[in-house]
Amino acid sequence: MNFKALFRHRATELSLTAIFVLGFLLLVATSHGVLLSRESLQGFLTYLAVPIVIGMAQMVVLAIGQMNLAVGAMGGVSAAIMAVLMADHHYPIWLALLIGFLSATAMGAINGFLVVVTQLNGFIITLGTMTILLGFQYRLVRTFTIDAYPKSLPDFGAKNILGFPLILVIAIATSVILSLFFSRTSTGRRVLATGGNALAARLSGISNGKSVFIAHTLSGALVGIAAIITISSLPGINRSIGGDWMLASFAAPIIGGVLMAGGTVAIYGTVVAAGVVRLVDIARAQYSLDPSIVSLTVGVVVLSTVALSELRRRRSERAREGRKVAA
Amino acid sequence: MSPLTRIRRIVGDQRVVLTLLTVGLFLYFGMKNSAFFSTDFVIYPLLRDGAVLTVIGLAQLCALSIGHLNLAVGRMAAVAALAAGASYQYWHLALIPGLLIGLVTGALLGAITGWMIVKSQVNAFIVTLAMDFALLGFVTFIYVTFTGATAAFTTKPAGMEYWRNTSLHQYCIAGHCGPRVFPMMLVPAIIALILVGFMYAKTRMGRELLATGSNLRAAKLSGIPVDRRVIMAHTLSGLLAALAGVMLAFTNGSFTASIGSQFMLPSFLGPVLGGTLLVGGAVQVLGTFIGTMLTLVIRQGLSVQGIGLETLNIALGLVLLTALSLGQIQKMFTSIRMRGRT
Repeated sequence: MNFKALFRHRATELSLTAIFVLGFLLLVATSHGVLLSRESLQGFLTYLAVPIVIGMAQMVVLAIGQMNLAVGAMGGVSAAIMAVLMADHHYPIWLALLIGFLSATAMGAINGFLVVVTQLNGFIITLGTMTILLGFQYRLVRTFTIDAYPKSLPDFGAKNILGFPLILVIAIATSVILSLFFSRTSTGRRVLATGGNALAARLSGISNGKSVFIAHTLSGALVGIAAIITISSLPGINRSIGGDWMLASFAAPIIGGVLMAGGTVAIYGTVVAAGVVRLVDIARAQYSLDPSIVSLTVGVVVLSTVALSELRRRRSERAREGRKVAA
Repeated sequence: MSPLTRIRRIVGDQRVVLTLLTVGLFLYFGMKNSAFFSTDFVIYPLLRDGAVLTVIGLAQLCALSIGHLNLAVGRMAAVAALAAGASYQYWHLALIPGLLIGLVTGALLGAITGWMIVKSQVNAFIVTLAMDFALLGFVTFIYVTFTGATAAFTTKPAGMEYWRNTSLHQYCIAGHCGPRVFPMMLVPAIIALILVGFMYAKTRMGRELLATGSNLRAAKLSGIPVDRRVIMAHTLSGLLAALAGVMLAFTNGSFTASIGSQFMLPSFLGPVLGGTLLVGGAVQVLGTFIGTMLTLVIRQGLSVQGIGLETLNIALGLVLLTALSLGQIQKMFTSIRMRGRT
């Protein structure tokens, strides 16, 4: 494949990578190198892990043409379950984390089950489950901050592997596994086929209900991983956990190119887009701007991505036709 | 029509069932705790909130009628309230001109959203969600930049108190005064109900919107300009969201960034409980009001019982999911019965 063809196929990923690198260098230059210090770099990479994983949790549901509004609430509840089990019931860490992870997976499975049984848009189902789960989250943690869990958990969260934070390594490993799932397993491909064209998928013998159920369950499992990362990297768990996940979860996959493709996933794009969003956050802190500027910038970027999608689609269609004529 | 079928038809009407359920629950909560029948502290605020939420429900209904969703209703309301509040604060406009500025802003936002959906051919929920994110940052940014720490426009135009606190009680005809429980805020809501209801029931525009919602291809083939109808539906949605936003600002007494942040769930609860289809093509305008009142009675009733916010959330989420599942079960039964007949 020559360079031109590579660029055409990977335009979103390549331009996002370029934006990420340029933005990072710009921030390094304007901060007089402070960003390259060990602590700031560590902080930058540590807090990149959660946006990557929740971006993927949203991505798998977007891949079947639905959305999961409950990402934040599911994460909040499962993190709260883990914290309460460790602090109040003195469960061992691994067991508490496992139960939290499994409950997030179960919440995703319930979403999937409800969507399949009622045949309704996933959006409205997850709006309902989100409301219910927020109620449970408030019940579990009330107005407290739970931080009375064993010291070895934050130690685990602060570990490094070859200079990279362990939890970032976990997030990257998750994305690699997810990418293998979609590219190498028949189940993953069936999910994508459902998202691409439900009717065609059904005619070729794929159970769309099963795909929808799998996508929502997978979304729940990814939220469970995000909750594990959250509880091991934050000083405590309170009712605000997950409250600001919604924008981040949609921004990464939409900017990363999932939207334009439809029925495909863009894992590398989602990861890099999460990095770009994180850069905006860093820039805000560096220039001490108001927090609303982050949502404004990210929102405008998401909106323009949506607006530009048709333009790109038309251009790629024209390119395809041109190739056909040339052949 | 025999009397029996007539009764069956009345009982089978979702709106009648909902009304009975609402009134029944209202009486039940009142009997458990007589404080619930307090005119000034419960019923008047309940109806006033009901007015605002009915209008936001209608805003969602307009998008639902063509089979779309508007996830940005809350933020459109916030931007409209921002525009109205700024016009009172900086240009010292009177109540009605400021309101009009808010309404135009909302309609414009809706039109832009509809135009983007038509042009990009991207799913409406993604476009409105992106719109919501962009406006979320915008609203907070403007309030913080212009008003600093207060983050609110607090200038009250003349006449705001009238809409906020008074009832029909002040109007008397031949010695009979209006009821004290009837908030003036219900007047704009009723006007909106009548206009929207009239549009969907009697006008060509309304029928074309519904046709677009029930089958886009068929609508296009029968010569309906579907692109323009999609833009129209979103413009109306923005306009009604704006009205709800300004009404809420009047109720609260100030224009802040938090206006509309609680609109998303109620905007769906009202129409969906009232019988509006999520897939488009059928609307229940009056049902939106009844559905909204039902959720408010549940919410208010539970909180008078001393039940906390967390349980309220659980209850409202369950109501939404149950209503949706019931609708689906009903549809299944209908199709089985139809199959049995043929």
